[in-house]
Amino acid sequence: MHADSADPIRTPRAEHMDEMVDGKGGLRPHWRSLFAACIALEDGGIAERGHRLDRAFEDEGVTGVLPGMATQPTPWRCDPMPLPIPSAEFRALEAGLAQRARLLEAVLQDLYGPQNLLADGVLPPAMVYANPAFLRPCHVIEGVRRESLLQLYAADLVRGPDGAWRVLADRTAAPAGMSYARENRRILARVLPELFRPVQIRPLRPFFDMWQDALRRLAPPERANPAIALLTPGTGHPQWFEHMHLARELSCVLAEGSDLTVRGGAVYLKTLRGLQPIDVVLRRIEGRLVDPLELDLGGGVGVTGLMDAVRRGRVRIVNDPGSGALEAPALAAFLPELARRLLGETLRLASVPTLWLGHAAARSRVLADTAAWLIRPATDGLSPAILTEGLDPPERLSLLQRIEARPWDYAASAWTPPSVAPCCTAAGLAPRPIVLRVFLVFDGCEWRAMPGGLARVLGEGDRIAGRLPWQGLSKDVWVLSEEGGDILGPAASVAPRLPIRRTAGELPSRVADTLFWLGRYVERLEDSARLARAALRRLGRGTTTPRDVAELQALSRCLKRAGLIEAEDATGAAVARALSDALLRSVRDGGRILHQLSRVAQLTEAARDRLTDDMYTTFTQALRVLRAEAAGVDGSLDTLSQLLLGVLRFCAGVAGLAAENMVRAGGWLFLDLGRRIERAQSTSAAIAAALDQQPERIEAGLRLVLELCDSTITYRNRYLTVLQPGPVLDLVLADPGNPRSLAFQLAAMRTRLDEVAGPSDRLAATAAGLSGEVEALVQRVIDSPEQAVEAANLPPRLRAVAAGVAALSDRIDRRYFALLPAPQAVGVNEVADETIRGAA
Amino acid sequence: MRLRVRHATRYRYTTPVDLGSHMLHLSPRCLPHQRVIWDRIAAQPPALSTSESLDHFGNRVTWLSLEQPHAAFDVVAEALVEVQFPAPPDPLATPAWEDVAAQARQGGPEAWEAAEFGFDSPMAPADPDAGAYVAPCLSRRRPILEALLDLNGRIRRDFAFRSGVTTIRTPVSRVMAQRAGVCQDFAHVMIAGLRAHGLPARYVSGYLRTRPPPGGKRRRGVDQSHAWVGCWLGPAHGWVDLDPTNDLVVREEHVVLGWGRDYGDVSPVRGIILGGGKHALSVSVDLDEE
Repeated sequence: MHADSADPIRTPRAEHMDEMVDGKGGLRPHWRSLFAACIALEDGGIAERGHRLDRAFEDEGVTGVLPGMATQPTPWRCDPMPLPIPSAEFRALEAGLAQRARLLEAVLQDLYGPQNLLADGVLPPAMVYANPAFLRPCHVIEGVRRESLLQLYAADLVRGPDGAWRVLADRTAAPAGMSYARENRRILARVLPELFRPVQIRPLRPFFDMWQDALRRLAPPERANPAIALLTPGTGHPQWFEHMHLARELSCVLAEGSDLTVRGGAVYLKTLRGLQPIDVVLRRIEGRLVDPLELDLGGGVGVTGLMDAVRRGRVRIVNDPGSGALEAPALAAFLPELARRLLGETLRLASVPTLWLGHAAARSRVLADTAAWLIRPATDGLSPAILTEGLDPPERLSLLQRIEARPWDYAASAWTPPSVAPCCTAAGLAPRPIVLRVFLVFDGCEWRAMPGGLARVLGEGDRIAGRLPWQGLSKDVWVLSEEGGDILGPAASVAPRLPIRRTAGELPSRVADTLFWLGRYVERLEDSARLARAALRRLGRGTTTPRDVAELQALSRCLKRAGLIEAEDATGAAVARALSDALLRSVRDGGRILHQLSRVAQLTEAARDRLTDDMYTTFTQALRVLRAEAAGVDGSLDTLSQLLLGVLRFCAGVAGLAAENMVRAGGWLFLDLGRRIERAQSTSAAIAAALDQQPERIEAGLRLVLELCDSTITYRNRYLTVLQPGPVLDLVLADPGNPRSLAFQLAAMRTRLDEVAGPSDRLAATAAGLSGEVEALVQRVIDSPEQAVEAANLPPRLRAVAAGVAALSDRIDRRYFALLPAPQAVGVNEVADETIRGAA
Repeated sequence: MRLRVRHATRYRYTTPVDLGSHMLHLSPRCLPHQRVIWDRIAAQPPALSTSESLDHFGNRVTWLSLEQPHAAFDVVAEALVEVQFPAPPDPLATPAWEDVAAQARQGGPEAWEAAEFGFDSPMAPADPDAGAYVAPCLSRRRPILEALLDLNGRIRRDFAFRSGVTTIRTPVSRVMAQRAGVCQDFAHVMIAGLRAHGLPARYVSGYLRTRPPPGGKRRRGVDQSHAWVGCWLGPAHGWVDLDPTNDLVVREEHVVLGWGRDYGDVSPVRGIILGGGKHALSVSVDLDEE
């Protein structure tokens, strides 16, 4: 055999079954209309549509990695050619998988209950006790046993040369990929509508409705409107997109561990209005991480006390935390016997032939003919399988020695060449091996399959079995519907009539926190861009007159305050050089503006489930373009100037989209509050820095202030060309009608706080107090016979106002987002130093 | 023998703890040869919510949840227990160690529960150094209990009892290298060494009498939580408990709280707290004849 044969793509083609052609030169019947539609495509044919699909996935942010980060994500890819499955074939698959799911449920019930399978020797102890995913705290020794430990099940299938689908891996923990399947369908239908016309395919949406219904039914019956939380590790997780997408599809609250808390044995979500009960937790974190008290500490992704709440029956976790134990590849060796024993049935859908090497006979069989077998870890279903022929001799020897020393740690599955399906490649359509993942949900009575699935195209170097890779190519899976129309799902259960709400009752504290900081960072970015642009303009025209020099000095103080430059003491020609260097640095790696762009991107992703798709797409596309432009900024100030213009447009766009698309409650209030607070701080600090000079030079400062506050035109319209401190400061500090003035920000803060906290709240009163102070400051200047002298005295007072705004921000932070102290473990494994943010 | 236990644990925090959740393995297990006459657990501040159950190993567990800010957490467990563990079988009448290991690996009706303790666990994996240390005791076809008693004595002689040189997290390999530690380290060494040869061994948590019986010498590991090793002799003889810290066979000076694969399964007080800054722990244990 070839040395690279671990790579399924290089095995001799003849071994693989072809999904599309029948080996006698003909198309299989269920491919005919699809293939014809594909041939008839215009505008560059299928290859062009492939490119369009790639772009669509990229544009919509269907990916695992944060947009705008230093390492660019590999977006999800879908091949333009779907994988059709005839209706009858899929029905057989569904029936077989449903039986497997029932069987796996019965095995779980035994392992986490009486353990008769171990006592009777049907399962060897190693399958359970040497299995890290067997979670002892889930074992119920006494008390009420939990029903349906599995609600969601997926299987990875391959079709061998004989044409039969066989299960390569059972996924019982938190199988991923449903959202990607749905996105494949949605985007493919948009980009390639022609393919859909000649065929009837079963839609995916009813499956999600049915699942949502099944989740609601797990809640205690007395809860009329049950609350479901999807527990995610957060934006850093490779499948964050799916977590966010599923939370929307299933109407769940997207929650991280620190958003949930257990009190009195029940689970609650921390929201702006206090603790709200949660009835069902759909977990997207590993079972061993759900509760640091009884399981692994896990760096704060779990919820302390969750297992106790489960035992008390106060919350249901889907799937049960211990369910991952059945992902053990070696279990396949025992399934036929388990089916006979637990169900009294024969297994309808077989696994790829698998042996557990703890049995001496199995071991000698595999070692006698290693080329025919894939070696897999006995209990770890996420590591890829190893084909020993693909190993170097020393590696191979070392593997065989490890098997000899600890045979119970290994399983072997018969090498099965996967079937091939046509994929769009640079050289046209070419057959590529595929693995199919099918998803099933238990609706309370029976297991039902998503009529479709996720087909993964194995690329060069991909190894079979193991974790689903998130790069590479996938395929939309079509289940062709039978003649006579679609099979409809069951009618959704009737939900009770909801009371009308117009407030932000259950906004999770974390979401409010994220939006607040998104608002602050967008404003910070705008401030940086405005300052940098003001500097660029002056660099362009040179500094000759004393007036120019004074203005540049004032501007340098502002730039320094904003962290855009380091030194303000350079003089003469060196000022220009140092300034332009510093500004160019700010958009390179490690620079201030680039950092702010990244923060905005991260916060946008974290707030994604609260933004409309339009907003999200507009933000992320703009951010991506800006990052590309930033990378393209060379030594010339022209390109920098272009970039800054783009940044300012982006910031204005955020404000516009938020104003037009977000309901004036909850999320929007915090986004706007963050923006107003940041602008109040930066405006007062910038004006303080600009005025910080001799009274006779104050005019330069005033001109700069008007420019930074985008108020030059307004001033000219009101006062023509005469520049005086009183009118200027009235416009930028006290005029409540100028959206750039400090007074405007303070008034807006007060209004938002009134809405968030209710009228006559102390926070709103503080904002009102600051407004009064600012008005008095300006009045003093206006009333003074020496306005310039009085204006030059303002900086310390303005800095005090800025400090007052910062203090108010801290109080908002403490009240609504409240930094919880870090959880720490006592008594065992005393390591937990990570600070976890959340609200009390 | 009737023994009275008092185990007091006190955590003091530099800043108040807002929320504390604790899982206690502090109630003695009821066993054929250990009768628990009464027992109680008292916490200060009192817990807002409490629940009790049996864990996977059949040990008694109590969960406490403290939801008011508190600067200190006290928990006192008391019990009156009658113990009289039977004499071990004649060592020479026990099966060869290889047969015991093979039965454990096989599982099935008589061996499946013991088999669990033959596999790696987080704090007592089958350590190669510990395995090599145990190997001289396991000569070919040697009766299992004879081998174990030999090992029990060797650990007592070869390892220095020194507190402060190890923590809860010290791995077995380090204890092997420094040949010093406290009772839980010796228990982990013995367990890890036996597991390296496929022999099931479990970590037993409990207490040892503060004063030795009349005429007995002063024991190590009194006045605190103690730990020793349960060893499996095969289906016919079941388990025997050996205390490598004192080279004793457990008879009537020990009280069993519970057992697990290693310390992590049965740590007496395990908790997650929010806040608290730094914490200081003090523990006192009294165990005497009533």
